[in-house]
Amino acid sequence: MLASRAFHSSVNGTTAIPWRSSRRRLSLLEQLRACQEAWCPRTPWDREEVQAVLRGTPAGSFLVLRDSVTSQPSLLCVSAGEQNEEVLHYDLKYTGTVFQLSESRLSFSDLPQLVLFYSLTRDVLSVCLTIPCWIYSVTEMNKNRLSQLEPKTWLSTPPELQTEEMTNKELSNVMCSIQLTSTNGALCIINPLYLREHGDDWLTHRTTAAQSSTSRRDRRLSTTRAWTGSGLQNKRAVSLEQEPSAVSEDVSGLVRARSADSASNPTTPTGVVLRRSSKDFPNSPFQRLTTGSLSTPSTPVSIIPEVHRHSSPLPQSPHRVSWIEDGFWLPPPRPSSLLHPPSLELDSLSISSIEEEQESQFPSPSSYHPSPHRLANKVINRLSAVGQALGGLVSQKKRLTNRVLELSERKGGAFAEAVKGFVEMTLKGGPDPSGVTGPEFLQEVRSSLTSLREILLDYAEIQAILDSITDLNDLEIDSLVELSVHKVALKPVSAHLYNYIHTSRTNDGSFERLQSNFLVLEKKEVQDLGGSAGVGVPDSVILERIKQRWSSMHEAYSPNKKIQILLKVCKSIYHSMSANTSSGTVFGADDFLPCLTWVLLRSNLVALQVDTDYMMELLDPTQLQGEGGYYLTTLYASLYYISSFRPRLAARQLSMEAQKSINQWHRRRTLYCNQSRRSKHRRTIRRQSCHDQSKQDSDAETGCKNGSVEEHNPDSTDVSEQQTGRSSETAQAQSENAQSEPEDEDESHTAAPTSDWQPAAQQEVAADNQEDGQTVCVAEEEQQSAF
Amino acid sequence: MALRELKVCLLGDTGVGKSSIVCRFVEDSFDPNINPTIGASFMTKTVQYQNDLHKFLIWDTAGQERFRALAPMYYRGSAAAIIVYDITKEESFQTLKNWVKELRQHGPPDIVVAIAGNKCDLSDAREVPEKDAKDYADSIHAIFVETSAKNAININEAFTEISKRIPVIDAEGGPSGKSFKLGRQATESRRTCC
Repeated sequence: MLASRAFHSSVNGTTAIPWRSSRRRLSLLEQLRACQEAWCPRTPWDREEVQAVLRGTPAGSFLVLRDSVTSQPSLLCVSAGEQNEEVLHYDLKYTGTVFQLSESRLSFSDLPQLVLFYSLTRDVLSVCLTIPCWIYSVTEMNKNRLSQLEPKTWLSTPPELQTEEMTNKELSNVMCSIQLTSTNGALCIINPLYLREHGDDWLTHRTTAAQSSTSRRDRRLSTTRAWTGSGLQNKRAVSLEQEPSAVSEDVSGLVRARSADSASNPTTPTGVVLRRSSKDFPNSPFQRLTTGSLSTPSTPVSIIPEVHRHSSPLPQSPHRVSWIEDGFWLPPPRPSSLLHPPSLELDSLSISSIEEEQESQFPSPSSYHPSPHRLANKVINRLSAVGQALGGLVSQKKRLTNRVLELSERKGGAFAEAVKGFVEMTLKGGPDPSGVTGPEFLQEVRSSLTSLREILLDYAEIQAILDSITDLNDLEIDSLVELSVHKVALKPVSAHLYNYIHTSRTNDGSFERLQSNFLVLEKKEVQDLGGSAGVGVPDSVILERIKQRWSSMHEAYSPNKKIQILLKVCKSIYHSMSANTSSGTVFGADDFLPCLTWVLLRSNLVALQVDTDYMMELLDPTQLQGEGGYYLTTLYASLYYISSFRPRLAARQLSMEAQKSINQWHRRRTLYCNQSRRSKHRRTIRRQSCHDQSKQDSDAETGCKNGSVEEHNPDSTDVSEQQTGRSSETAQAQSENAQSEPEDEDESHTAAPTSDWQPAAQQEVAADNQEDGQTVCVAEEEQQSAF
Repeated sequence: MALRELKVCLLGDTGVGKSSIVCRFVEDSFDPNINPTIGASFMTKTVQYQNDLHKFLIWDTAGQERFRALAPMYYRGSAAAIIVYDITKEESFQTLKNWVKELRQHGPPDIVVAIAGNKCDLSDAREVPEKDAKDYADSIHAIFVETSAKNAININEAFTEISKRIPVIDAEGGPSGKSFKLGRQATESRRTCC
């Protein structure tokens, strides 16, 4: 928790996303920082001493020596291997702002970054630095011990840190922030955000049970921040795939490191690990094959993906495919090079004996020059490869979903019981004769979903599956789990929830307003709705397609799935908007909102309102800031605009109502926001207590109506404290927030200045409040004129 | 190293060039091929700021008066708001002042406010003197830039300034940014009126 807390900012609207932090471990960089004293001892050591210590240690073991005079780090000493008596020395420079090896022009803002970088890529070194395995098992808990380590313990494994898991943990800690690859001297940077969005499993794979040397090499490219500007100040070709024992090539050229596909030396595996289909290895379906090269020109290009697909109907994990490392974004390879050009990459995936074939191709390297035809094939192959990789992802999802399903049916299991309880309670809940408001109930459902997810994460078998999906970030993993929970828990109750929303929206008059305003607005063209003159609207064909999408959105039970469909609709609306305009015209919200409104007025408003509420209340709060959240907000806003449309109503008052509405919603979401993230203390479903709470809450609210005069109290903190006092629910939520999520606490303050308006039903029925709203308006207008 | 997602809300009259500013800002993303958003109303761009990556999630709002009421749905939870006016339209500057006021009252308390006078390439038609706007911005401790989305003037600068003012995450240690607490000021000013 401590570690993850560090990433969740306490600032409005900011979320720090730890790409790999969920296991509450320190990042490798933090770990290195913590034990810097061990690998860069402060007390002056001399060369001999270091040499003696390093001798006989595994290749890549290193220590950094400080200059005896300046006590600045001045020398990097690296062991060349257990058999090798020699210890390699590299001069370190500190320019006052950056560290660099004097042979290299890569500079780093601090020493741990340098070490981390050279542990991932050799650059000018003969071998990659080896960071002891045990460091990966260091957590926040035993972090303090790190600072007490000594160089000798650094090189061996400190017993107190020795755990059986340390051999496997290597990969899980690597924060994936950039991928550097090189081909023929070009540098290819793969945007980390792309990886975050799409996962990098198609790029990389993980060997869970591989020997450490494999995973070492295979750790690939990922570094926490080696590239962050200060870290990587000049762009050079770097290969992060070097075998530690590889001998340094000519270091004078710009291309200092061999790229994965230019392995002129077949004895140097470049860390490409290919999965073989299970048929090839009936006894060991998970066996992987390490090869030195990706290029197998003798293989017919376009057939391979097919073969591969057939031979492994269930790709179990994505491939570490090297083809990404060549020409796709890069200029064609130098034809005269002796290195064989990266003409065929992907195809080699399914080839078992690549190494032999690679050798055989050496005699005629020039015959593999890329041609347009080949390029086309490459593109096709890449597409197949992506499909393949997605297939791998899908199958992971499937495995997870199946397992979750299985767990939900396992008699007597905690998860099965919880799901059963959830479904029963949800089906019992619903429109109360006493008129309990909708949102609270839905928030209960939301928080139960979160609890179910937590329960699920307690299962070792689920954790095992999740751990095997290494190349998704936490958010993606969360949403995978979330989706599987939707399937077992939300699916059975979704119809009931629709009913429920429908009833509460009917009761509060929203549908009526929507319908009557629909009659007022339906004839309006998009310009009358505020759109600018040139903006286009969907034609009848597209409108029809949109309507179909709306109905499939309505059919989807998962809010996440609904959001995806919503995005598709928005996309086609954009398309129509700019259909008749010259390219380059940009349509922002000024035009999109009217256009969406225009579309909504031609759609089933009631169903859309139900779906919108469903998404707003049940979507995992972490999803609310992104693109999905934006368009959901816009959909909500548009529906709100329609339902509250009153031609002659003062804009200000409308504004107040809108604010009330949104703040009620925001307040509710804030209360449960922390639950949606992984929290240390697991919650069980608190159905009963929630009921009690909401009852108390509504009691509290009736009691506090008279407090509404102070609602406009300028001091937001005071208001929020009053609020805390009034509502036990809020109080509890806030204390929970305070425990687990600083950000949430902050958010509740965020909501505070206006969150003092009470929930919808009370608000809209209570006449006093209405009056109060007007008072507020007046006050505001006065203020405005004073402004 | 962490990726921080910063929700940034764009406010201002219709036609002042809100989305043009964002498009200009986003178009030279370090990898434009990657995950483009579906439309110009919501765009993202990630920039590096010190040891963090700041991913700006930019929420555009409809500037028409009739949609003003909907703005709170957009600016709630924002880390920053960019309020845009058109230097050739005095009226848009008055609208801007109303937005500032509304944010003070109902916006997130720590929201960073940036004021952008757009279309500074059209200085012949200028109606809002730069000094007036600058003085106003200073008086509310907001970031001030005159921008030209057309000529790509001051666009990146505006976002860099925002990055600077985003409070540093405490738990990460390090120097804290010059954070601008609109909330506190709003508190004072509202006290006087109630």
